[in-house]
Amino acid sequence: MNIHEYQAKRIFKKFGINIPNGIIAYTPNEARDVALQISETGPWVVKAQIHAGSRDDGKFSDKRAGRKGGVRVSKTIDEVYTNADDMLENMLVTNQTDSKGRLVSRVYVEEFIKSAKKFYVSLAIDWVLANVILIVSPIIDNEDVGALTDIPNNFFKLNIGTEREIRTTQAKEILDFMGVNSDAKEMKSFINRLLKVFYAYDATMIEINPIGIAKDGEIWALDAKICFDRNSLYRHPDITKMADESEVSERELIALKNGFQYKELNSGIGIIVNGDGLAINTINEAQNIGLDTACFLNLKGGVDRDKIATSIKLIMTNPKVDGIFINILGGFLRCNLIADGILNVADDLGLNIPLVVRFEGTNKDEATEILYKSKLPLLIAEDTFTGLNMLKRAIEEEI
Amino acid sequence: MAILINKKTKVLVQGITGTQASFHIQRAKKYGTKIVAGVVPSKKEETHLGVPLFKTVKEAKEATGANASIVFVPAKQAKSAIIEAIDANLDFVVAITSGISVVDMMEIRQRLSNSKTILIGPNTPGIITPEQAYMGIFPDNIHKKGEIGLISRSSTLTYEVVLELNKLGLGQSTIVGLGDDFIIGASFIDIIEKFNNDAKTKAIVLIAGIGGNLEIETAKRYAEIKHKKPVIALMINNPTKVLGYDTFASKIICDGITETEDKKDILRQSGIIVVDDIKSLTNELSKI
Repeated sequence: MNIHEYQAKRIFKKFGINIPNGIIAYTPNEARDVALQISETGPWVVKAQIHAGSRDDGKFSDKRAGRKGGVRVSKTIDEVYTNADDMLENMLVTNQTDSKGRLVSRVYVEEFIKSAKKFYVSLAIDWVLANVILIVSPIIDNEDVGALTDIPNNFFKLNIGTEREIRTTQAKEILDFMGVNSDAKEMKSFINRLLKVFYAYDATMIEINPIGIAKDGEIWALDAKICFDRNSLYRHPDITKMADESEVSERELIALKNGFQYKELNSGIGIIVNGDGLAINTINEAQNIGLDTACFLNLKGGVDRDKIATSIKLIMTNPKVDGIFINILGGFLRCNLIADGILNVADDLGLNIPLVVRFEGTNKDEATEILYKSKLPLLIAEDTFTGLNMLKRAIEEEI
Repeated sequence: MAILINKKTKVLVQGITGTQASFHIQRAKKYGTKIVAGVVPSKKEETHLGVPLFKTVKEAKEATGANASIVFVPAKQAKSAIIEAIDANLDFVVAITSGISVVDMMEIRQRLSNSKTILIGPNTPGIITPEQAYMGIFPDNIHKKGEIGLISRSSTLTYEVVLELNKLGLGQSTIVGLGDDFIIGASFIDIIEKFNNDAKTKAIVLIAGIGGNLEIETAKRYAEIKHKKPVIALMINNPTKVLGYDTFASKIICDGITETEDKKDILRQSGIIVVDDIKSLTNELSKI
């Protein structure tokens, strides 16, 4: 789960990490007012709040915003107003969003901190080693893919051990790598505070791009991104409350609340599966025979009849879907529960687009029996390839 | 022969009284799996499904000689259940539970590094030696006895591959689901080494996960093994970009190798045959 920059900064502040003074604003007028509250003379920075990186290099879809990105230094109070006005209710497209971009519903206005040097800092998990890794780099452009060809020279990586903190000598190594001649103790306490946040909230990543080192040696978190482990959220009700529901589509949200994964891609067929691998294989095979995928739903190991029915409805009611393929390889998930779900939804909504069902595995026979008895106008396939071809023909016949 | 599990393996079940566990354990018993004990810390009955119940893994092991455990305990309690099995020095533990937190898994991995116990999973369909025994949630009757060893990071793709193998009459020696989570216990190379020592296994199929750098580590270590069986890796391209976990930081951790094509090259250089769809996989296997 992600939160906004301003929310991450509030957490940083609680842990004693330096952040610029800032206040959130929902309208240009509010932006102007809060700017004056923060500083009488400026300059200020106006920052679009969306759950995606590379905001600075992003472009707004409405041209009134000009060519500048979603992070703007504003020298006068009028500039604060104009910049906020440009960003709010506009779609920001960055390298990390899709082509539609994300709606900016709030901006963060903060004081401008002059820093002598800027660096990229992150804490992330090495999934293979099951370790937390600290990364520091002078590369503050996330899209600089070229930098990745020379990792040792461009990135300082440090394995954080079970002691969960770094020592002064390690802080010194970081400063040497950066080529900065400042106080190692300051760096050590900055990194250790970040680590405290990381472990206290069960984060899976903290990324600050950039940190600023001021002339006096003080270290500032000029940016803040925290990703949380969904599986740990039950320990952190305060974080769960920060979820910005406008950031995910309504359908995605319903699926998430039922414990499933739902993603929208283009328009075409809707796919219901019970695993990531199966999802990708089915989307690939569909593509091979010329079928685009509108969306897919991953029921994982779901075992709740009602939740399954609710989620099947998501696909059936998506107007971009012109045919549905339900492809289930039941292990934990029992095929008969899906069959019940299909009946339940068909009762409610009727079946007005082609539907092909493929069941394999746990309770397959029972499930197939349920579908046959229902006399619903659906097709039953033996495997993925056959099922997709049946669906293709059925869609063509509809048109 | 087979690896890890056979009809003689004495299995204890942690969290046996849950609805899901009961359903799948009954089926596993019918299949031939030797279920010798159930562990329920708050036990009220003496038996469940005809299996004697114990309060701790240690007690169950001492009383029944169990050498492996299958964990059905809910995510929030799974860490202590798995650690209890590690502390009891069982040979291996299969964790079916999904949704275990990352921080819990980091701690479990820490414990495993000082132990001989092998953890399969979590979030795995389990392990099965066809026509002998299984620990997991496998569908009935789709697995056939044979000489292909299968190791997978994707549960559903495993079933899809097995069905295609069966069509060609290619049975399986043992199937090991490593689990679909970001952090798992045993990795590909641990199981490849076991298959290398198994007389019954002729070739090994590896089903890659989506994203991550586990396959890279596998390639590096596979290249170092002297006498080895052929390994064919199935790496399906990820067309959606919405699955997987490639952030800028993870790209740095993976030394910049995150594109599927680059990973395929590294695997090939280590001597592993790489294919990108199930059809090519069965083609390669019929050549061996």
